[in-house]
Amino acid sequence: MTHTLHRRGDRESLGQDYIVFTMSAKKLNEEGSAERMTKFLGILLKHRPVNYGDMVTGNCYVKSREEIVQNIQSTSIVHGVFTDEEEVVEILKELKEADLGISVVISGIHDATETGCRKSGLAKHTVENSLGIFGQYKKLPADEILQLTTMCGHGMVPANLVERVITEIKRGKKSVREGAVELTRPCHCGIYNPIRAERLLGRLVPLVTLDA
Amino acid sequence: MWRGEELRIDPEKCIGCGNCSSYCTMLGGIMRFERDRKNPTRIYYVIDEDECVECSVCLRSGCCPMEALYQPELVWPRTVRKNFSDPLKIHPETRIPGRGTEEMKTNEVTGRYRRGMYGMACELGRPGVGARFHDVEKVAGALAALGIVFEENNPVTKLMVDRKKGLINPEVKNEKVLSAIVEFMIPAERLPEVLEVLDRVSQEVSTVFSGDIIARIGEDGSVPYLKEIQGRGRFLSINGKSNVGLGRPLAAV
Repeated sequence: MTHTLHRRGDRESLGQDYIVFTMSAKKLNEEGSAERMTKFLGILLKHRPVNYGDMVTGNCYVKSREEIVQNIQSTSIVHGVFTDEEEVVEILKELKEADLGISVVISGIHDATETGCRKSGLAKHTVENSLGIFGQYKKLPADEILQLTTMCGHGMVPANLVERVITEIKRGKKSVREGAVELTRPCHCGIYNPIRAERLLGRLVPLVTLDA
Repeated sequence: MWRGEELRIDPEKCIGCGNCSSYCTMLGGIMRFERDRKNPTRIYYVIDEDECVECSVCLRSGCCPMEALYQPELVWPRTVRKNFSDPLKIHPETRIPGRGTEEMKTNEVTGRYRRGMYGMACELGRPGVGARFHDVEKVAGALAALGIVFEENNPVTKLMVDRKKGLINPEVKNEKVLSAIVEFMIPAERLPEVLEVLDRVSQEVSTVFSGDIIARIGEDGSVPYLKEIQGRGRFLSINGKSNVGLGRPLAAV
């Protein structure tokens, strides 16, 4: 599962897109991991993530904070999304200090996360990169749409919904912010970045012309 | 046995607004409208069952003002669609919600990816196109011909009837899913031939796939595959995932 990988965009846009998440290693440090993941989320919440959630329960745009926190289990994957790399540095420092004993993964521009690790006294252990898309490109929507849909790695944010949201914004039925939130909801895990979505939509909507 | 005639939109309740199409993860949507024969002024939507990947995004969205969408109980092999398309479904084998495994996310604890080895994966159908298992088999078969060993705990591997040939259970080959991950590990020196095979087989499948690569950071702090891939002028994302090594107990890698 590479749900935070394959996010598309340019350096400027991806530079406002960081995910910090955790999960237990099954049969190895699973015992007591729910409690540790709850503490992990507590640390993230202090830094005001723009989205957060647990794969078991849902994201904060659909579920309440209490529901997410109280339902953390050993099979959980708990995430928080941030737009500021300095904030991520502070989180990493706190996670290092907390020494929870569960794996922590950061997803973002590698240069920035490398610097972040160094500043917080951590070192990357294992890394993963996207090799891009292979095959029948003609079946894909435009890259501007993909930048919005690929923020949900499970494919829960449909290109069809992006197109509808753009139309609704264009027709004045929705604000750009409301459109971004609508795209955020279907991404169950809480890894969709509504702030980045708002910026992408704000850039895209003026370029779209609607049929009469 | 699923016979293909079950409806997921109650035609009596549907008012033909088409809201559900916006929440369909298949590009363009797989719903089409039909006209009520008894009342030709009335239309309702139906789902193309063969194209539906059972992701349940439309159902969960609450988009239907008439609550006409419903989920019938699925039976094998249709269940495969839901297992691979709906991340809320926890795979019984991996005990992980989603389509893959823990892969690099817990590597400091599991020691799965050691120096000198690369983890790789091809996620067929991603982003947002969907894939049938006969295409999954094409990719798996091409890799198997190189003697690649597939990840034991991966749900796609569990569907293989012959892992040495990458053959998928014939019962599921026509099932369509939002995405399915072929996951494997290779010695670092085999990367060029694997990339060559992926380029070739990518022209043989009727869908897309997203490729990725994983490595344990080198002793000098370098990313081992960086030069090899960039030197070939290939795409390598500027962003990605980094495990920062906070899990315990540490594996000896």
